Amino acid sequence: MSTPVLEVIDLKKTYKRGFRAQPVHALRGVSFSIQPGTITGFLGANGAGKTTTIKCILELSMATSGKILYFGREGLTNDAKSRIGFLPERPYFYEYLTGREFLKFYGQLSKDTKSSILNERVSQLLKRVGLEQAGDRPLRSYSKGMLQRVGIAQALVHHPEFIILDEPQTGLDPDGRFEVREIIRETAGEGTAVFFSSHLLNDAEQLCRDLIIYKQGELVYSGTTQNLIGQAGTGFRITFTANGKIQTLDATDAADLQKAIDKVRAQGSEIQEIRPLRQSLEEIFIRIGFDGKTKPAAIDQQGTRL
Amino acid sequence: MSTSSFFKSIGVIAINTYREVIRDRILYGIVVFALLLIGLSVVLGGLSFSEQAKISADFGFAGIQIGASILSIFVGATLVSKEIDKQTILTLLARPITRTQFVLGKFFGLLLVILTVMSGLAAVLAGLLLMLGLSITPLFFLALYGVVLESLVLVSITLLFGVISRPAMTVIFASSLFLLGHWVSSFEGLMKLKSLAKEPTVQFGSQVAKLIPNLERFNWRSAPIYNLPVPANDVLFATLYAVGWVIVIISLTSFVFRRRDFV
Repeated sequence: MSTPVLEVIDLKKTYKRGFRAQPVHALRGVSFSIQPGTITGFLGANGAGKTTTIKCILELSMATSGKILYFGREGLTNDAKSRIGFLPERPYFYEYLTGREFLKFYGQLSKDTKSSILNERVSQLLKRVGLEQAGDRPLRSYSKGMLQRVGIAQALVHHPEFIILDEPQTGLDPDGRFEVREIIRETAGEGTAVFFSSHLLNDAEQLCRDLIIYKQGELVYSGTTQNLIGQAGTGFRITFTANGKIQTLDATDAADLQKAIDKVRAQGSEIQEIRPLRQSLEEIFIRIGFDGKTKPAAIDQQGTRL
Repeated sequence: MSTSSFFKSIGVIAINTYREVIRDRILYGIVVFALLLIGLSVVLGGLSFSEQAKISADFGFAGIQIGASILSIFVGATLVSKEIDKQTILTLLARPITRTQFVLGKFFGLLLVILTVMSGLAAVLAGLLLMLGLSITPLFFLALYGVVLESLVLVSITLLFGVISRPAMTVIFASSLFLLGHWVSSFEGLMKLKSLAKEPTVQFGSQVAKLIPNLERFNWRSAPIYNLPVPANDVLFATLYAVGWVIVIISLTSFVFRRRDFV
């Protein structure tokens, strides 16, 4: 297995809030890793600690304890930073700059690149995010979707190996969300690891090979999307006709299914359909995140529980 | 990090800061205000029968100094807070730059703006003085150099307060230090009076005064007006004094800013 681009080990963040400085445990010892070239979705309800984790990863907020390894090494050095791209949540950019100036500014800060090469990269990125015509307009004239796209472009301007996107699709219309989704897919296709937080579970389900799910500052799942959906939604539904009426019977697993089939046949009923039951990520997330009926441990049976 | 890339990043942030301020309408308000002050100097000079050129020069230099000080304090106060409020600081600090480089970039960027504005205002004042029959000597440029040194110290003070407080408080703190900085030399004069020197409050005050940069050390504005020579040692000492204060204040700003958590 190759070296993870990011490894978070027992990360804790506590800060004090209010007049009496009550401690708030924003992160309670979370651990996970991100593999190169993968798309990892970062899910959790508002206030679960996603943005705090991202800020700790980028040392914008100092962790109370724990360890973070970047490309196998401890410490966010400038070398590590030059291999990481970042788009914050609700980004506001320098509105007095044009799109081209904006990308050039971040490019100049990121790597020692020749001006001509950087100019070429900026033009290429503007084209890729569909802002070729708007590149020389000031950012103050951009729509929300355009700002989000130019924001993603700034995260990619220095050819990073790993990008962190904090809710990149928030506030976008369906077209905008589709465009961002495609950019994420293309970026991962080029070998860049993408780590993005989102509330859009359908998009996460479609895009992500891996998922990290938080609940109230704790990690409740870290593993593949397939495993999570497979485990949480196992079961079968038999549709059959009995006394002229269509009825259904659910089975929890393969053995249960055989028993159910035998039972239906023994009644002399005619089986119309047998189909596997599959829960969507949204249904699973709601169970984990809000009603607390599904214990994290039960979901993590085959997921990587760190 | 190599030395060249260290300074390159500072330069990139400085140029962006310069661009930010130059494209801001507030700057032009300040420039117009300073131009009005210089214009007023001609009107005020006209009230005098014999000293018109001298009074005009005096008010003209005051206009440039006030313009540079307003720029240092009012624009400097929002330089860091804007980045934090608009969260542009997050994308910036996620790049391979240190927080010290960010502070230095902001410092030099604003300094560049002040130098640009001062050059324009100085050209206008020089034109007016030539029209009034006063010649432009090296002392004219020395007076301007004094304003630059004062601006260096003021910008660093404003940046320090800018990283620890909101813009309104920053303006109040920096303006207070600006006023105290000009008052310190009067206090030093007071200390020389034997009758007062031993008073405990005066002695306490003299210790506190050491923590405040004496901005009157950079005041050579009378020199070109009355053709007073300024010893080279005074200029050298004032330069070292300004640079010393800037190093101390910027180091403190950087120390405080490095510990700031962007929760």
